[in-house]
This record gives sequence, C-alpha cells and structure tokens, in this order.
Amino acid sequence: MEITKALITAAGKHQRTLPLQTLVDRDGASKTALAIILEEILRAGIERIGIVISPGDEAAYRAAAGPHAARLTFIEQSAALGYAHAIHCAAEFCENDAFLLLVGDHLYLSTTELGCARQLVEIARAEACSVSAVQSTHESKLPYYGAVGGQLVHAARRLYQVEAVLEKPTPTEAEQKLVVPGLRAGYYLCFFGMHVLTPAVHRHLADLFAGPEPVHFRSALAALASQERYLAAELAGRRYDFGVKYGLLNAQLALALSGTDRDEVLRHMVELLATNSR
Amino acid sequence: MDPGLIPLITSQDPAVRNASLDASCLPLACAQLLQEAAALDHFRRHQDNLYDRVRALFFLAALHRFHLPSRPELPPGGHIPFRGYEQLLHRRFEEAIDTFLATQATSGPSDALSSALAAAYHRLAFQTLADQVRRSVRTVRGNQWMFRMGHPKDQPLRLRPELLTPGPDGSFPILRERTPVRMDLTHSAWSDIFFLGMDFPEGARVLNVSVDLGVHGRDSSTAPPVSAWLRVIEEPVLRLVSVDLAARADISNLSEVFDFAKDYLGLLKAAVIASGLVPPGIEGSGASLADLLAEMLGPNRGLELVSSVNDIPKGSRLAVSTNLLAALIGVCMRATGQAESLTGPLQENERRLILARALLGEWIGGSGGGWQDSGGVWPGIKLIEGTPSQPGDPEHGISRGRLMPKHHVFTRQEIPDRSRQRLQDSLVLVHGGMAQNVGPILEMVTEKYLLRSAPEWAARQEALGFLDQIVSALGEGDIPAVGHLTTRNFEGPIQTIIPWASTHYTERLIEQVRAEFGDDFHGFWMLGGMSGGGMGFMFHPARKAEAQERLQSIMSATKRDLQHALPFAMEPVVYDFSINEVGSCADLLEGPDALMPSGYFALTIPELVRQDRRTLSAQRRAELDKFGAACRTRPELRGMVQTLFDALLPRSKSQAAAHENLAALLAENGFDATQHELIRADLRDGRIGLAQNRLPPNASIADVSPQDIVDLSRPSSAHPSLRARGEAALRNGTIAVVTLAAGAGSRWTQGAGVVKALHPFAKLGGRHRTFLETHLAKSRRRSQQFLAPLPHVFTTSFLTHAPTQDFLAQRVHYQGPLLLSPGKSVGLRMVPTERDLRFAWEEMPQQRLDEQQQKVRDSLRSALIGWATSTGEASDYTDNLPLQCLHPVGHWYEVANLLRNGTLAELLRQRPQLQTLLLHNIDTLGADVDPTLLGQHLSSGAALTFEVITRRLEDRGGGLARVNGRPRLVEGLAMPREEDEFALTYYNTLTTWIDLDQLLAAFALSRADFLPGADASEKITAAIRSLASRMPTYLTLKDVKKRWGHGQEDIFPVTQFEKLWGDMSALPEINSRFLVVPRARGQQLKDQAQLDGWLRDGSAAHVASLCTWS
Repeated sequence: MEITKALITAAGKHQRTLPLQTLVDRDGASKTALAIILEEILRAGIERIGIVISPGDEAAYRAAAGPHAARLTFIEQSAALGYAHAIHCAAEFCENDAFLLLVGDHLYLSTTELGCARQLVEIARAEACSVSAVQSTHESKLPYYGAVGGQLVHAARRLYQVEAVLEKPTPTEAEQKLVVPGLRAGYYLCFFGMHVLTPAVHRHLADLFAGPEPVHFRSALAALASQERYLAAELAGRRYDFGVKYGLLNAQLALALSGTDRDEVLRHMVELLATNSR
Repeated sequence: MDPGLIPLITSQDPAVRNASLDASCLPLACAQLLQEAAALDHFRRHQDNLYDRVRALFFLAALHRFHLPSRPELPPGGHIPFRGYEQLLHRRFEEAIDTFLATQATSGPSDALSSALAAAYHRLAFQTLADQVRRSVRTVRGNQWMFRMGHPKDQPLRLRPELLTPGPDGSFPILRERTPVRMDLTHSAWSDIFFLGMDFPEGARVLNVSVDLGVHGRDSSTAPPVSAWLRVIEEPVLRLVSVDLAARADISNLSEVFDFAKDYLGLLKAAVIASGLVPPGIEGSGASLADLLAEMLGPNRGLELVSSVNDIPKGSRLAVSTNLLAALIGVCMRATGQAESLTGPLQENERRLILARALLGEWIGGSGGGWQDSGGVWPGIKLIEGTPSQPGDPEHGISRGRLMPKHHVFTRQEIPDRSRQRLQDSLVLVHGGMAQNVGPILEMVTEKYLLRSAPEWAARQEALGFLDQIVSALGEGDIPAVGHLTTRNFEGPIQTIIPWASTHYTERLIEQVRAEFGDDFHGFWMLGGMSGGGMGFMFHPARKAEAQERLQSIMSATKRDLQHALPFAMEPVVYDFSINEVGSCADLLEGPDALMPSGYFALTIPELVRQDRRTLSAQRRAELDKFGAACRTRPELRGMVQTLFDALLPRSKSQAAAHENLAALLAENGFDATQHELIRADLRDGRIGLAQNRLPPNASIADVSPQDIVDLSRPSSAHPSLRARGEAALRNGTIAVVTLAAGAGSRWTQGAGVVKALHPFAKLGGRHRTFLETHLAKSRRRSQQFLAPLPHVFTTSFLTHAPTQDFLAQRVHYQGPLLLSPGKSVGLRMVPTERDLRFAWEEMPQQRLDEQQQKVRDSLRSALIGWATSTGEASDYTDNLPLQCLHPVGHWYEVANLLRNGTLAELLRQRPQLQTLLLHNIDTLGADVDPTLLGQHLSSGAALTFEVITRRLEDRGGGLARVNGRPRLVEGLAMPREEDEFALTYYNTLTTWIDLDQLLAAFALSRADFLPGADASEKITAAIRSLASRMPTYLTLKDVKKRWGHGQEDIFPVTQFEKLWGDMSALPEINSRFLVVPRARGQQLKDQAQLDGWLRDGSAAHVASLCTWS
C-alpha cells in the first residue's frame, strides 16, 4: 500500500492558532509547531501535505510553515462543523489514496531513531490496511480522547485488531466495550492523534453525511472496522497535546529534555525549584 | 452412588443432586451422622467450587440443628467454649468452627456444641454467599472502574453540557427521571434471590409488570410513582433532598456521603456513589468533595439531587425503594453521559447498566433488594430469567449462573392489548397496612433450596409450572385463569415452602372477599416476599369499582379488629393502577418549566423566607419567582398556599393533646412519680446503669452440681408415683395456671407494640392461633383429661389489658375459671444516657454485621447517641404515641399484682382448695400442667420449683448457677463477666411451680388476707413494697418503634427498669428447687426467625399434641 499524502486538521475553533506557536525543537532551533509537524511527516517519506484550515488563516499558516510552505495544499472548512466534516472537506485532496492523518495541536516525540509518523506509515505499508496509532491511557483521561477496543494480534509489535471505536467514552462504557487483554486494569487504547487510513473512510464519511444524523468521525472508523481490516498500533513514542492547559509547556519541556539543550534546561529547572523552595 | 451425603452435592445426576437431605439422614444413627459431618467438613475445606462449599455448609448446619439433636444417643447439655462464641460474634466463623470442633474432639459431642456448630456453619454459609454476590457486583463490567478511582483528579465523568448552561434567568435546567414500580405476577417461589439465580439459573424466573399508581379516591390519575430530579447549583456542595421523607442536607464533605444512616438520605447517597459521581473507590481518601465536583462541573458548582415518591407507603411490596434508587442512578448516569439517552426512554443496554448499578447501590446501602426489583426500569410485562454463566463472565467457574438476569419484554403479539386491558380492569391492588421485614423469609428460602427438602423442592418445580401457565393465560386473554393460578400459587407452593408468607390478616381478607363476591372473585395475588402489605385481588371487571370500595372497608375493619395482634404500620390503602408501557423515562425541564416537585418547595421555602432575600443567590431568587408564578397559573399547584402556610406555622395542638393523654395514662396505671425521679437522679449520677446491673466482680459464679437439680428431661426418668400425685392434684382442682401476658413482643415485632398474647403466630390445628389460644388449649386438654376445669389467669399490663379482655370476650370459650390480672405498676421510659448506649454497643459482646451493614449500623448508632445527648440524657421519653412511652416494670410485679389487684382473692373464692400455681411466660409454648412435674414439685415440698433446660447457643440471658456457693437463677444482666454464662449447663425457662402458702409467707401474708371482707389491701401493698425493696432493679435498653409519614418507622433505644421473677430464687428464706425439663417444654419462641426451625424440629407438632382446640 502506497502512502503519499498526509492531512493535517487545524480548523477547530480552539485549535486555529495552536500550530502557529513557536517552540524550540530538539536541535535547539526555534520553529513553529506547524513546522515541527511538517518535518515529522517529511521524515516519514510523504511529500504531499493537505491542511484543513478556517477561512482566512492561509497566510498565517503559510508563514508558519516556513520552507515547507510550497508543499502544502490548503483546504478551507467553510464552517466549524466538527472534525469529521474537516476530513470530509479533504476528500478531493485525498482522492482514492491512503493517507496519513494528523491533528494540528499534537506533537509527537519518538523514543527511537524513527519518527512516530514513520513508524506508523511503515506498519500500514507492511500490513496493507488502515492503522491508528494508540497509546495506553489511564481511564481518568478518557474525557479527552477517542479510544478503541480489540484483540492483540502481534504482541512484540504491539498491534491490535480494532473491533470498537468510541469517542471520549465514559469509563463505564469503556469497561464494557473497550477492555483489551494485555493492558493494565483501568488503561485503554486511546488515539495518539495519528492515523493511516484507506480511502474507504471517505466513502463512509460521504454515506454518513448523506444521512440526517450528526456525523462523528468515530462512526466512520467504526464502519471501517466492521468492513475491512483495521489495526491499532502502540508506537515507540509519546504524544503531547498542546491544546490542553499547560499542554504547550509540557510539549516544550519534552522537546527540550530530549534534545541537545537538555542539560541547560535541566539546570534552569533546578534553579527555579531551588528559588521557589526558599 | 457412593455412600454418604457428599454425592448429594457433587453428583452430575440431577436425581441424586436434588435428593433431599432429610430423607438421606433418616436411616443414619448418631455415630454415622457424626461421621458424615466430619466428611462434609473435610469436603467443604478442600472444595474449590463455591456452591458445593455452600451446600456442604448448609448440610452441616442442618445436621447439627435438626438431625443430631433428634438422636437420643447425643448427650444433652454440654458447654460451649466462650472463645468460640466470641469468634462467632466477630464473624470469624472459620475459627469458631475450629474451636467448637476442637472441644467436640476433647469433650465429646453434645447438644450444646451442636447448636453452636449449627449456628457457625449457617452463618458461614450465608457469609460465603454474600461475599460472592458482593464480588460479582464489583466485577460486573462497567462497575469496576469506580473501585479504582481514588483521587478527584482521576474523576473521568463530566456533566453533559445541556445541564451546565443556565437559562436567561440564571437557573439551570432540571433533568427528571420518572420510573414506574414493579409488581410481580409470580416470582416462582422467591427465585429472584441472588443465591438462587446464581446457583439455579434455569429455575430463576419472574414475571413482572411495570405499573403507574395513584391512591384510589385521592389521585385523579395514575402516574409513575417515583421520580428523581437533578440540576446544577452555584455552590460546591451536594444538595440531597428527599421530598417523601422530608429530609434535606447540603453535603460539603466526602466522608458524609458515605455516612448512610446519619439521616434519611441514605438512598440518595447510595445513588450518588453507585452512579460514579462519588465513586466508592474514593471513600476514606481524605479528598475534597468540592475538588471532585469541580472536575465534573467546573469550579464552585455543585449538584442538587431530589427524590420524590408519590406518597406510596413503605412495605407496598412493589419495590418502591429499589426503583427509586434505580431512578436516582438513572438520572445521574444520564447527566454524566454514562447513558447515551439524555431524555426519553432508556435503551436496553442502558437499562442493564442501571440494573448493575442498582445492585451495587443496594449493596452499598446495606439493604438487599431482589434481582427483579429494578423491574420498573423496563416497560410493560416482562419475563426476567437467570442466565447460565459463560466463559469470559466474572462468574464463570464460580457459580452456575450470572449475577445479572436477562429481561424479555413481551410484545403485543405475545400478550395482546385486550389481555393487558382486562388485567387492569380486573385487578384491585391494595396495601394491607402491614409492614414486615422479609429478610428472615429470604434466608429460610435460600436454606431450604440448598437442602432440597422434598416437599419444598417439589413445590419449587410446581411454582415454575405456574409461571408458564400464567404466561399462556395472559397470551389468551384469560384473566380469570390468571387469578386462579396466582391463588393456587399462593396456597400451594408459596406456603409449602414458607408457611409464614401468609398471615391471619391476609386469610381473613380472602375469606371475606370470597364470601362477598363469590364467583366474581377470581383470585388472590401475593406481591413480593410476603403478604399483608401489597396484595392483589382479582374480580370480574363489572365489579371492580365495587370491589375497590368494599376492599377498603373490609381491610379497615379487619385491621381495626387485629391492630393489637399484628404489626400494622398504617391505614390500608386501595390503589388505582395502570400498566406502564414505557419504563423509566426522562425529560429536561427548561425555562419556566424548570421547577422541582411541589413537595420540594414545601420543604425548602419555610427556611428561605426566613432569610433576607438579598442573601439568596440569583438562582434561588429566580426559582422563587418562577415558583410563585407557577402557583398562580398551574392547577396542580392550587393547594400550595395552604401547604406552605401549614409548613410555616405548624399546628401544635395534637402534641399538647398527646401529653395530656400520657399524663392520664400514667395516673391510671399506678405510675410512681417519686420513684421515677429517684431513678432518674441515680441514672444521671451514674449510680445505676447497665454496668451497675451486674453482680460484684468478686462474686463466684459456678455451674451447679447434680445434687442441685432433679433431672426429668428424659421420659425414662419419670416416676409413676409422681405422676399419680400430680394427677390427683389436677382432679382435685388444687392447681391453676398463670400466664405472663403483659408484654408487647418487642423482639417479635422490633418494638411495634402489639399484644404478644394475641399475635396469631402460626397455624396449629389448621388455623392461625394466638399465643393466648394455644395456652388455653393446653389447659382445656388437661381440664377434659381430668374432668376438672383448670383455672387459667393471664396477667396483663396497660398495653395488653383492654385488647386481651376484648379478645377473650369475643373469641374464646373456656370452661374453667378464666381471669385477667391487670397490671398495677407502670414506668415511663427515658432517653438513654450516652454511657449506657456506649456500654451496650461498645463494651458488651455483640454480633458484628457484614462489612457494609456494619458501617451502616455504626453510623446509625452514632446518630442515636447524638439524639440521646441532644434530647437530654435520662429525660422522659415522650416523643411517641403515649402507649409507646410507658413500659411494664418486669414480671416480678406481675406476680405481686395477683395479690394486690384481687385476682388471687377471686381465684381462692372459686377454688378454695388451690395449692399450686404454674407460672410461665407467654412464649413458653410447651409449658403445661404435666402431672409428673407437678407431682415432683408437690413431693419436694418446695416453695418454688423453677424449670430449667440444657443450654444451647441461642439460650442467652442467664441461667442456673451456684452464686457464692448457693444455687440460684442469675439473670444475664447480672452476670459479672460475659463468659460466666458459658460455664452454666442450664438455662432458666422462667416456668415456675409455686406453692401458694409458702409464697404468701414470703410476703408475710396468708390466705386469710384474701378472704372476703379481710380488708387487707394496705397490708398487701406494704408487703409487696417490702419484698420489692429486696429485689434488685435492672436497667435495660429496649427498642421502641416510632411510626411516621407513610408507613415509615424509626427504632429508638430507650431506657426502662424492671424487677425480675427469677431473683426470688436468691432469697435465702425461700425453698427453691430446680427441675430439668425436656427442651420442647422449656424453649421460648421470642423471635419470628425461630418459627421455621420450631416447625421443622418437631416442636410445633409437640405443642399441637398438648392442645385441644375446642
């Protein structure tokens, strides 16, 4: 399965300005969050990138993308009708191709040489099916994420066959539908904010949007799981959601502590702690 | 098949597995039974399968309770090690069993040890079952996470945004859940008990109907009777309001949420916990409730949860409280997105989730509703069935069935509309007014099921057959057949398994309805666990309206007739009902409609109007405005002004009248105000109290030796000459019987204040019989046997005299002299001291309860200590019906009263030859004028011959002892150390043969003082006072029930004092002897839970053999 396109969603009401924030990357260089995400995609070998934005945001995003701006296709979501709608807006860009889907308010930090996006794309190529990156997450964080339930298919590669998909489930529902053998009690496979999806997902979205009910992206994923092989993969890395309280600070600290300026940042932190303790 | 009893448990062959234990034990001798017991004990210790273990435990309990004691080779008497008893009290059942078995190995088996082992095995069996249900409730998927959550930051629930958005006036929307209650057409012989459903899922089948109710004649239409209301408030507290119980509290502290018995809000608290708002895992974490609420609702916000019951009284057998719990849980789960549907009916998966949480809530609250009770959450008519556990279920490999049943809602094809309509047109649903505890019945059912006693097992199969027949009759629209089947079910299997499911009251109602309506009466329908409360009567539709009116009159009249004999909690009620085809359903009240139920305002407004309006929150002000506007426009709120006026200015007239009434009663019944004040002063100063009842610690208490007693407990030891002497006395009319009948059956009805003598406790000779009738029937038999009418005296008290007199006049025909001896002394109960409450609850050994129930009890006790100190320790207890504030002053006075009130004089006038009195307690049913025992008493020349029996575990409260070297009876209250009682072989039955002349001499009186014209009343009074001063006074705590609202009852501990007859044996000048009698003669029936064992061990048959009913 060839994966040549990537799609970033950045049109959410509270999300629009987040990719434009500046952070210091692992190499010590100041970049926008968008640039860091774009580099993650490029390292995965994908060069055509679509980005869903609110009307009027293109100039700011183009500036934030810096040298990568030329690779971007801007797709405007005319009204804030939700995440599923944002992806649906990009149907034309994706055409009939599998694509890598990311959210614009997450950063990914790999613990191996391979970036998170690269890990995911390689799994999807090898397995020739849709794969969502997931992270084992404590139930107290369920109100923030989508989550999947299923069976372990390959223990060493931490691959799961997805059987159920729920958006921000209550722990009650999660316990009934999403318990995955092999995880610790109270932990669930929550979305990492990164998926490789086959074009079928657009067909499901189109069907759903043709109906009268409000459309949730999880419904399209659930339809995908019911009709074709759909896997979830635990990647060697962590996601940082900078859309939540202190999310940007956490993301910055994670970048800094895993990069070249680690000692300097640690020294600052110790000084800060020592000052505060007085 | 292997020999022995174990195959009855392990065999795969149903014919063996379902064989009766009783039949299998019949051919076994004592030694073989003991071998079987050893094998079963070994088996249950090494068996992994929970239900095999439990069955073995019940088998062991039955062997020791029924089979071994019936073998003559088992030695009577014996001692129970106190250590084992203490272990039992602390629920260390395994250790207790080991202790008792060790004693059995060293000292040999005995009747006493078997009684202790029976109790220990029995309790361990129930504990094992309860543990399993608890484990299953916790491991149901969807419930587990709540036990892991220990910190507010981990709270994963969020309130739905619809509820967090205030309206233009600042008030938040209200989510309202309205839920019908359930009535069961049949529960297939209580097959909804969890243990049955989990062991025998195939046999766990219930047919139940969701119904809306209205009180006939009061409500214009029917409606779902329970509702739960929830909204956001602008204070970081949990505001809980129970409109039905008129209770409210603002809870700001997490630990208060888990304090169930502190107030009347236990059910709401259980719902808050079981729905995950305050998950059980956070208990004891010390976390802040405000932080937890902030996580769900945002900072500085709280939740208000209101429960409302449409005035349906307690004991309706319609599972009102379980369905209210389900409604409360439902509204909380909808509000937090745990149920997808915010409004409207629930989906099947949501109902199941609410059921799982309701089970959890029942367990948390320490109650224990059945498995079908949340049936109101489902719509229409449904079949609820047990399901076998499958691989992957938490129950798999542990129990045969799942914890959660499955529900099949009958479609319109299966049960057509005309059947449903016809059912509504035929059934008259009532609340008979009795509110009784079903708990003991459920335990009996479980035990009988596990023992597979042959008649009961056959009855269970028969009940299952009835269910299928009822379903098919409903399908065909043949409602008369349904009535016929429910009647057969009640008269057949239900009463075969539990005779106590029927009551004298129920049977009189059925009898009258049948007589009045003839063939138009189609049948009786018992609702829930027992009859007397909620019940159904089915009629030809043309006569339903008439039947509703008539049933109200019949029930009220019958209740009036029996109100002193049976524990009625309220006036009987006839309901209107309709089948609810929706189940639990919610709606969102917004804008001007966002108003709590009207009762809520009656409860909250009086306090709000006392506050400065400016201090009220904007939300409160908006709410008051809205309510004011609604009162002016909505017809259903028309009476609110009057209601609020009454709430603001409560009437005090009735209370003043009650005090006058009490004063008059005290004056009438010989209340001694001076003595009362002395007792109060002594009590306040700590000179008397529970601790002071005891003999000095240096008193030596030892068991009696063989020369201290005469043993006539075995038939072989009877002596023909003794018998002849007794028979002569009977023929010559020198003996009379005195039955102590002043008591109110406190233990029998937990303080409901009925006349125990008039309580129709069991069926004997084919009819319900009262204690009084039974005692007279024994005297009647002796009268006929010896051709000399036997005089019989019943002593009475302020509480029992008039009803007993009426009963004797209207119902009893007795040939011989029949006299009542009215009480001449009465006490006024007092509020206990904290010192005595703590002594009773903290220093006296007592039964610990199951973990959650113990928590509830501890919380209740601390609330009661608070009540005692805030009301005033040792102050007069007057906050109840006047009769509930008085107390009898002990049976010593009942004997003295015979002298003082002219009864003895009258007896001597009619029987000048009278020499002997047989005195016994109302609950000693086996006591009669046995000629051999009478002969023994006469031959011994004793003044008082006290009957004792060998002790069993349940025989607590003193016994026969050598105190400082002298044999006498010692009350349990007087034992210096608890363990002293366990060294005593014999238990006091209180039955006493009295030599009249010697008794009078002890009072310094003689027969001459009782002759006509003797005019010795002052002398007699002085004699009584003089002897009374030598009798110790015991202070006791008694439970007294206070009834309020709609069938609600509270139990308060109160202090009273008494002088006890057994202490006469301590007087050195009185020649007292002690006679060991058979257990069947001496045992006392004090508690309803004893009834079943009493029937099964042959005691009932023995008593019946002593009686002549006409």
